[in-house]
Amino acid sequence: MREWLPSLKLSLAMTGLFLVTLLLFCADILFGGTPLEAGDVVRALFGEGSPESEIIVMEFRLPRALTAVIAGAALSVSGLLMQTLFRNPLAGPDVLGISSGAGLGVALTVLTLSPLFAIAADSPLQGWGMILAAWAGAGMVMVIIMAVSSRMRDIMTVLIVGLMLASAISAVVSLLQYFSNETMLRTYVIWTMGNLGNISWQQLRALSIAALAGMILAFVMVKPLNAMLMGETFSRTVGVRMRSTRLMLLAAASILAGSVTAFCGPLAFIGVAVPHMARLLFRTTDHRALMPGTALFGAAILLVSDLISTAPGGGQIIPVNTVTSLIGIPVVLWIILGKNATGGRR
Amino acid sequence: MKKRGIVIAETEELTIGYASRRRSIRVMEHLSVSAGSGELVALIGRNGAGKSTLLRTLVSLQSAVGGKIRLHGRDLHSIGSTMLPRIVSFTSTEPVAERNISVRNAVSLGRFPYTNWIGTMTNADREAVDHALEDTGMLTLAGRRLDSISDGERQRTLIARSLAQDTELLVMDEPTAFLDLPSRYGIVSLLRKLTREKGKCVIYSTHDLDTALNEADRIWLMDGECIIEGAPEDLILSGTIARAFESPLLSFSSKEGTFSFVRGRRKGIALEGDAPALSLTEKALGRCGYAVDQQASVRVKVQTGPEGWRWTLAEGSETRSFSTLYELMVHLPEE
Repeated sequence: MREWLPSLKLSLAMTGLFLVTLLLFCADILFGGTPLEAGDVVRALFGEGSPESEIIVMEFRLPRALTAVIAGAALSVSGLLMQTLFRNPLAGPDVLGISSGAGLGVALTVLTLSPLFAIAADSPLQGWGMILAAWAGAGMVMVIIMAVSSRMRDIMTVLIVGLMLASAISAVVSLLQYFSNETMLRTYVIWTMGNLGNISWQQLRALSIAALAGMILAFVMVKPLNAMLMGETFSRTVGVRMRSTRLMLLAAASILAGSVTAFCGPLAFIGVAVPHMARLLFRTTDHRALMPGTALFGAAILLVSDLISTAPGGGQIIPVNTVTSLIGIPVVLWIILGKNATGGRR
Repeated sequence: MKKRGIVIAETEELTIGYASRRRSIRVMEHLSVSAGSGELVALIGRNGAGKSTLLRTLVSLQSAVGGKIRLHGRDLHSIGSTMLPRIVSFTSTEPVAERNISVRNAVSLGRFPYTNWIGTMTNADREAVDHALEDTGMLTLAGRRLDSISDGERQRTLIARSLAQDTELLVMDEPTAFLDLPSRYGIVSLLRKLTREKGKCVIYSTHDLDTALNEADRIWLMDGECIIEGAPEDLILSGTIARAFESPLLSFSSKEGTFSFVRGRRKGIALEGDAPALSLTEKALGRCGYAVDQQASVRVKVQTGPEGWRWTLAEGSETRSFSTLYELMVHLPEE
């Protein structure tokens, strides 16, 4: 009984979460800035609606909801990988400055390379260029953090280094802004607010491919990730090749966080908070269950955030970044203050 | 009981230390020791003697600077990285990274070398985990989380994880560190049981000389420049233990196999009475700077009566009586 009861609970929780995510996905398509009848939305989905509703649903709401699912899942899994890799419950793409690194890549492409953001949206080459720049930026910060955390066992030191990096990067970006024109500047500032709706189908395709690649890379690593729960020495003595494993995990986390940040801007606190919510819901430390669970939970949270951000209606939108911060910060505080901060007392 | 003595691990002229491209730091040279199946081997030595370095070299966590290590007669270098985890398991002092992990999941990770790419547990794997939990007495706690059990139980979990790894050689770095006395004995007697009943070869490092000298089949003693091996009693008889650990403050009794504090110049005191209070009284008097001398003018007598033990202190014509040793000690004559 001891054997199957937890796995039954686990499948129940997983199924439940999947259904909730599905519901949220439908809700995200049904509700938006412009009020539309449910019937109109469904007709538009099957190409039988009015031209106006078809544009709203097919060009805005559907890609937006899909982006929320992909971005939420990718950022959360990236956070999960980093928390296990750095043995740090507070690790996450934004907390450790990874998102800032990706942002620097984006800023370089937006503010210096491409004269207008709009052109980037049309050209698939620009889309991939931005993704690659974001990966490079995220990877660069990740390598620095890795180097620091291999010398400093104290998680707070690593966090402070992450914050410093983020500040340094934002200083560099400010410098870049000084040399750029007003249009580019506005595009960049809007990007920093986080936006799920500014994505073309073409960009969405690039994002999906990148996120899928990152997810596959991450899922291939579940076994070594589980071993790393017991510590590095143990992992090495059961045959985990730490160097290549670390490299793979860094790559996966950078690809996931970088791609999302490139297109959606920094979505704060999703990456650090969602893995903890998933651990709480599924009551497991096993990455085989935790990884899909975290991905689903992340999708659900970002769908909720998107619903809230478009709730005011009439074209008014609360920046998604604001909503995710309001959801994520209490969780992060709970980790810091609560007994869940396992790493701090070593 | 399985037969003892098939050599499982041996080193030959081993040099341990740290080698980098520029220079190498030799911690210790010419190490030639061995350990056999069904043997409990305790590695002892002063702080910084290189115990951890030797153990880490044995399990290939760091490479030897020189010399040879053979496991099951095979050179350590010739054993592949997929084979090695099936031959030797290692428990370090490294803290578990995720303290929320359940005991069963932690032990299951011992099956790592045997499971497929995603870590799927077969029935055989589950059976091995159950056996490991049972042998270490952790079966009833299998569902608990690592941060909700005691330090001793956590150490048992790590031993269970080593057992689940199903290796004939188990290497452990200070499995009894930070444990209270009963837990320490519990762990060492568990290790002993594993060598006797399962024929395992267990090599563990420890600072707990008492249990090591009482329970280990073989001692590896790291003593400054060299390593000396043998049965605990052999090392006591040859005076090796005394040489390695004695200090101006500590003396070793070869008869008892125990250490005690060196007392300074002592005054004589005459002592008579009934066991077992007699020897305890002698110990307490020793702490206060007195040695037993039946010719002395100060006399202590300990007797048992209807109200328990009583101590009488006689000095010349003055006689006083106490119901506790503590009171007696307070009233001993000053220098």
